[in-house]
Amino acid sequence: MNILVCVKQVPDDYAEIRLGGDGKPATAGAGTVNNAFDTYALELAVRFCEAHGGSVTAVTIGPEGAQSGLKNLLAVGAGKAYLCAASGEADEGGTAALLARAVELCQEREGAAYDLILCGKESTDEISGQVGARLAERLGAAFVSGVVEAEPSGDGLKARQETEEGGVVYEMSLPAVLTIAKPAYDPRYPNIKTKMAARKAVIPVLELGAAEPALVSCLGYSEPPKREAGVVIQEKEAAEAVKKAVVMLAEANVL
Amino acid sequence: MGYMISEDCKELLKDVKDFAVKQIKEQVKQYDISGEWPREIYDQAIEMQLHMMDVPEEYGGLGLDHIDQAAIVEQIAWADAGVAVTLNGNGLALKPVLIAGSEEQKRKCCDIIVNGGWGAFALTEPDAGCDAGNGKTTAIREGDSYVLNGRKCFITNASVADFFVVTAMTDKSQGTHGMSAFLIYKGTPGLSVGNHENKMGVRCSTTSDLVLDNVRIPVENRLGEEGTGFATAMKTLDLARTWCAVIAVGLAQRCIDEAVAYAKQRVQFGKPICRNQAIEFKIADMEIRTEASRQLVAHAIRLADAHLPFGRESAAAKCFAGDSVMQTATDAVQILGGYGYSREYPVEKLLRDAKIFQIFEGTNEIQRMVVGRAAINRH
Repeated sequence: MNILVCVKQVPDDYAEIRLGGDGKPATAGAGTVNNAFDTYALELAVRFCEAHGGSVTAVTIGPEGAQSGLKNLLAVGAGKAYLCAASGEADEGGTAALLARAVELCQEREGAAYDLILCGKESTDEISGQVGARLAERLGAAFVSGVVEAEPSGDGLKARQETEEGGVVYEMSLPAVLTIAKPAYDPRYPNIKTKMAARKAVIPVLELGAAEPALVSCLGYSEPPKREAGVVIQEKEAAEAVKKAVVMLAEANVL
Repeated sequence: MGYMISEDCKELLKDVKDFAVKQIKEQVKQYDISGEWPREIYDQAIEMQLHMMDVPEEYGGLGLDHIDQAAIVEQIAWADAGVAVTLNGNGLALKPVLIAGSEEQKRKCCDIIVNGGWGAFALTEPDAGCDAGNGKTTAIREGDSYVLNGRKCFITNASVADFFVVTAMTDKSQGTHGMSAFLIYKGTPGLSVGNHENKMGVRCSTTSDLVLDNVRIPVENRLGEEGTGFATAMKTLDLARTWCAVIAVGLAQRCIDEAVAYAKQRVQFGKPICRNQAIEFKIADMEIRTEASRQLVAHAIRLADAHLPFGRESAAAKCFAGDSVMQTATDAVQILGGYGYSREYPVEKLLRDAKIFQIFEGTNEIQRMVVGRAAINRH
């Protein structure tokens, strides 16, 4: 099965991000990483192909610097990678349209169509959770969200969606788009050889052109409210301190 | 020559750091208590090829720049010095093979390691530590075979190794020139692992006696010519000392990181203790010693890479890094005060791990002999 995994570069999850002077998140110093859910999607795709055969291609829309993230994916099982360049600010619909164009261009280069397209269920920066679904709509493909397991089923695919109550198993025809939640495993670590070979890879850049005009625009960001300072109970005796704490909890209607 | 890491290796280091933080740092606490060898950590390390960084590229190795390799070893040692010692054990066992071995011996040992195996270097004996030339283990030639008898001790990785490099006297009357080195593979009749050391520190590394009871091996298992075993062992240690120092640097860096994190959040007399010069200066000294160790290591590595003499520099790096990490770990415990002495906090283990760096791969007294003689002979 030919699988394409769409990967977004996001600010490093470990960095603390504050709003900058322009009112936008100041991400410049944070460093970028592959979106965690997209790395789960890649691992799921690689495991799928290891078990059932096939190939995995990774694609990212982003600046030149996004090559580094794609190289890291080549080190953990992606067979090919494409970087796509686009201009203009895209909203979620615009991003899906660009990705649909990217799928088309990648397929032209490969001379074969993708059977399965995977996205993370959301990105850890904007967390809109829309792009996978809207890409499926553009491509006229089957779509299931929040998938944690997938396996072939006849000419189609069986996928298990994770829900708060448990799970739902769906069967679908191909091509299909799935968004991937956290599976029962973590992405593999690269070994040194594949890592160093991947770092030397040359990744083709495809031009997507300008994004469609955005239908939705962001008016502003706000930071979460700062945590208020807690109350310190300074009674010397433990019994006194506990008594005071219980009174305070009762007054706050916690008990 | 500085400790400059290549751009590609910086990306690799991120993965190694992630592995060290998520799969080693916390997991080793239970193994430090139990003394069990953490096989699952090593299985993952093998998957990442962290056990085969000393295999030359022409024998299926990775072709890493040695400074890049040092940065990786340091990162692992930061998470646990014992894990780094185990992984480094393969390099230690491979070095004498690469120094003195035949093409076939090199290929065979490299294949074992590339395929996820382990090696062990067995030089030390109960009565031959610093005085390695005083070994009692013998190898008697019988036709196309050698028969080895004796006992080796403090052998890193002995209980898991697939091949052993063992030194033995082929001609006692010749002193150190009567020592030869041999390759012995696991499963050879008469070869067994004896007592396991219950060590103070680096407890994720396994250390055991190796017992040779009429171990018969073919003559082609000899490494180099008869009588060259001591020279091979000394060349091995020259190279190995630098890597021992790298591990010490990683451990020292961990001491600094733990001490600084604590000193910033520990409030006494209304301010974090790091705002006191008594603490700040201690941290400065820890930092200076560790960076100086790192640069001595880099210098020794670059000299070795350039095929220039590096024995003095390697010994100096090991000696300084070993003494430094001991002092730095002591300082870290002091900064954490009572918590530094508690097993609930990480630095108590770091102090126990640090001590070995003044002892193994030649005590620091031996390193001073090497450096002192080099200095005296220059004049």
